[in-house]
Amino acid sequence: MALRLSALQRLLLARLLDLAVVLVAVSMIVFAMIRLIPGDAVAIMLGANTEVTPDRIAALRAQIGLDRPIHEQYLGWIAKVLRGDLGTSLWTGRPVIDEIAVHVWPTVQLTVLALVLGAGLAVPAGCLMARLRGGGADAAMRIVTVAGLTIPSFWLGIVMILALAMVAPSLQLLGYVPFSVDSVGNVTRLALPAFALGLPILANLSRLVRSAMLDALGQDYIRTARAKGVPERGVVYRHALRNALIPFVTSVGIMTGYLLGGAIVVEQVFAIPGLGRLILGAIAERNYPLLQATILMVTLGFVVVNFLVDLLYLAIDPRVRA
Amino acid sequence: MRLLWFAVALVVVQGLVAGFAGFVAPYDPVGQDIMARMQGPSAAHWLGTDQFGRDVLSRIIHGSRTSLFVSALAVGVALALGGTLGLVAAFYRGWTDRLVMRAMDVLFAFPVMLLAIGVVAVLGPRQETAAVAIAVVYTPIFARLLRGPALVVCESDYVTGARAAGAGDGRIIFLHVLPNLASVVLVQTSLLLSAAILVEASLSFLGLGTQPPTPSLGLMLAEGRNFLMLAPWPAVFSGMAILLLAFGLNLLGDALRDTLDPRLRGQP
Amino acid sequence: MARISFRSMLLAGVLAVAGPLGVASAQVLEVAVDASPVGLDPHRATAFSTFQMINGTIYEGLTAIDKDLRVTPGVAESWTVSADGKAYTFKLRNGMTFHDGSKVEAADVVATINRVLSKEIASPLASRLAALDRAEAVNAGTVVLHLKEPAAPLLVSIATIAIVPRSMEMEKDALQRAPIGTGPFKFKEWQANGFVALERHAGYWRAGAPKLDGIKFNIVPESATRQVGLASGQYAMLPNIDAATAMQLKGRPGVKLAETLELAYSFVGVNTSRPPFDDARVRQAVNYALDRQQIIAAALFGAGVPGGPLSPALKDWAMPVSEFACYKHDPAKAQALLKEAGHAGPVAITINVLPRQDIRDMAQVVQAQLNKAGFRVELKNQELGQFIQDWRNGNFDMFASTNAGSPDPDDYFFRTFRTGGSTNVFKYSNAELDGLLDGARTMQDAGQRKAAYAKAQGILACDGPVMHVAYGQLFTAMRANVNGFEIIANRSLSMLADTTSR
Repeated sequence: MALRLSALQRLLLARLLDLAVVLVAVSMIVFAMIRLIPGDAVAIMLGANTEVTPDRIAALRAQIGLDRPIHEQYLGWIAKVLRGDLGTSLWTGRPVIDEIAVHVWPTVQLTVLALVLGAGLAVPAGCLMARLRGGGADAAMRIVTVAGLTIPSFWLGIVMILALAMVAPSLQLLGYVPFSVDSVGNVTRLALPAFALGLPILANLSRLVRSAMLDALGQDYIRTARAKGVPERGVVYRHALRNALIPFVTSVGIMTGYLLGGAIVVEQVFAIPGLGRLILGAIAERNYPLLQATILMVTLGFVVVNFLVDLLYLAIDPRVRA
Repeated sequence: MRLLWFAVALVVVQGLVAGFAGFVAPYDPVGQDIMARMQGPSAAHWLGTDQFGRDVLSRIIHGSRTSLFVSALAVGVALALGGTLGLVAAFYRGWTDRLVMRAMDVLFAFPVMLLAIGVVAVLGPRQETAAVAIAVVYTPIFARLLRGPALVVCESDYVTGARAAGAGDGRIIFLHVLPNLASVVLVQTSLLLSAAILVEASLSFLGLGTQPPTPSLGLMLAEGRNFLMLAPWPAVFSGMAILLLAFGLNLLGDALRDTLDPRLRGQP
Repeated sequence: MARISFRSMLLAGVLAVAGPLGVASAQVLEVAVDASPVGLDPHRATAFSTFQMINGTIYEGLTAIDKDLRVTPGVAESWTVSADGKAYTFKLRNGMTFHDGSKVEAADVVATINRVLSKEIASPLASRLAALDRAEAVNAGTVVLHLKEPAAPLLVSIATIAIVPRSMEMEKDALQRAPIGTGPFKFKEWQANGFVALERHAGYWRAGAPKLDGIKFNIVPESATRQVGLASGQYAMLPNIDAATAMQLKGRPGVKLAETLELAYSFVGVNTSRPPFDDARVRQAVNYALDRQQIIAAALFGAGVPGGPLSPALKDWAMPVSEFACYKHDPAKAQALLKEAGHAGPVAITINVLPRQDIRDMAQVVQAQLNKAGFRVELKNQELGQFIQDWRNGNFDMFASTNAGSPDPDDYFFRTFRTGGSTNVFKYSNAELDGLLDGARTMQDAGQRKAAYAKAQGILACDGPVMHVAYGQLFTAMRANVNGFEIIANRSLSMLADTTSR
């Protein structure tokens, strides 16, 4: 086969291959991990204060497939997953895929809103911060942004709930309503959790924007532009924001990981019926098929996002291609 | 520079308070006094008492110790393990590199909290398993962080010279390559410690970390939120303590980066 | 600075949009509960979050338990008991329908009983029918339950066995997602981890009920969120909440509280088959070491009473705790008993702790109190799965937990404390107690039964494997415009049928 591939194509192919290897390994880890968890689904299914007989346990174990050798369980599971069948929840008998479909939207909404809020506010915040320069202001900004980076989202959430209860108890800003039911309520009720979750992103990105702005102000071409009489503001913003874009895009992957993890905790604080709640609930009730599928899907999503970020990075940064 | 000294002072003070918790804390952190429960801040109890009448300040001091201990242990293990793997990968290149880094990629493929929760779910929720979980999560980060700069150092004349002089692999890696990466290690350890404090607190908050009655900041916050409107201080102050710990270490890492690597000044 | 002003900006912006919201349909009661149900099949459920939502709302049994914990008619309008106490004849209500419109007939009741007993369904309720021989449909409106031996608590036991259509007898999963019962409300929609919506069952047998058009059980795990939601009027009711939550809502404008002493109790139980608790003196020492009032103050926020083997809510049965000598707080006596039992140093034990906040709190106080009285206690905070497995296998020194309790003493005592009882995980065996329980089980005379159970309580309080700690005060918080609801000690929400919210 005299297939000639460009460097870029070869790079893409290698990345795709990596992706496949990682996915298989991830699925094995997820499967093994869940089987290793102490405590048995069956014990909880039969529950406390129940007559538990060995017969009943054996029957249930067989029904769930826990009686088969572990490699058979894995292969059976994978074969089904590849056919799009993620199994059924042990408790509700509902297909796992449906459970995930219901829970994925609040999480996606929350993370996207947090990202948009963080990134959106970072631009004006960063520009503002670039204006204030010099020893004292630098240090103050450093302190504020580091605090923003390290503030625990769940604590911020709780403090906001407390403040809400004291200041404006009649506001209905908590709980979750689906967008289809009440679109305004949906967004207003996600605002606080999205802010709690997005604050570190805001802190991180505003620093990026600031340093890019400062860099841009010092660049030759800015001076040139200025000399040519081009309106200063427009040039600085355009160049600075473009410069800030690359580190921003590279960090979107990491931020997505942070957001997915943070969402687990924030959903718990704000009672948002998302994937985090699904995962924690599934752990508590040893809902193996559900837990497996959810962790697999979330990780899959994360891997794909990172892959896309890689591609995007290739697209916008010519140096990588060379 | 002033910021660096401020950060150093903050971290040192916190470290000393936590390290000598037994001497610093005014009360026994698990000593109950049910008659004095849920009191507000006072001269006797600066930050008030919790639902068992335990002194919140003493619990925060001991809780900081737990937090720092778990995080330091986790980051230490991750650094030793991940760092070694990264150096080995960079030094030998080829298949070793590919194998090690692919394995790290797999761990890296999981979102941090999700992997940590998974590890804790397998090992059972305890203080030590939280440390293991965080170590597992951070191992690939250190491996990646060190591999890149190590590749550059390994190519340098300095290392080639050492090799030509007949130095052993281990000797080269740890005596010649590693010291050149000291600033990277120092900065990243500090930043990751800060992040580890937050992960540990999150795990404890979800009930997956330190277990009662051992004082832990995340757990205090979780317990305190049950009676938030009656007595907000345990929840509010323990959260502030988490913030302060993570803040100090992050600021330290940040300031160190500026000082040690001027090229990166101002970058996030 | 920047952050603060931003937050206030955000709040201001949100204020502007949030104003016109919150005008909900007046007759759908917005209820907030802490946990999602785990399936809505009444015969397979083990979680309390499920029972609370379905029993007495979607489903009814042949009999029912009223707000004073007495047996009243349910699907059966009346019944007679044969002279030998071995046949119960139930007469069903005329013209009663299931939510799917089909008629309720004797065949449905028989199918329900068979479903509960079937191996395939593996219902945890099966143990309640241990005395049952068979169910017989005499005609469309009459059912006879034939027992192997007389069993006085049968009428209580069957109250929570929901009658379902006969078509469900072999259906394993259908009811989990789409429940069909005879109760005042029928199932409408379940959005996992979001809400369960019920609507009025127009064909309900009781005239004038239900008064509400529907109920929406919103699943809101965070206590603070529930509280703020009730205070803002977003939710109209927080049923069966603990004292900590109730205290925080007390006195809020537009909020009222209902309260009752709970049937459920918290306790620590010990393994009597291995040291150190195989020695009755060590068990007594635990009782002397405990200061129940302090535990109530810390774990139940002061809302509860020290309890013996039966809840004070069971006024007809329970003995006052002052009758139990070992209930006096006396750490010195506890240490003396330990010495007497041959323990020189501190007795090292581990307590497995049920993962529930009030129980974890209780365990922390118990630990502190036992440590002061000659024990050295380690707490093992377990996950539910591990806890249940250890509980079932008797793999514990001591565990701290809670039990729902029962309106009839036999239901609880027999399976829990009789030698070989189905939930006697303590491996407790006491011939005198066995004799009392066996005898009381078949007694038809209420006075005799009462005397037997009084004696049993005396034995259990100080010699038994369970140190009963406290019965908590149970609360339901409502908006001021919610009327007709009364709180019931067994946490049943059946009074929702008579509730209005205007």
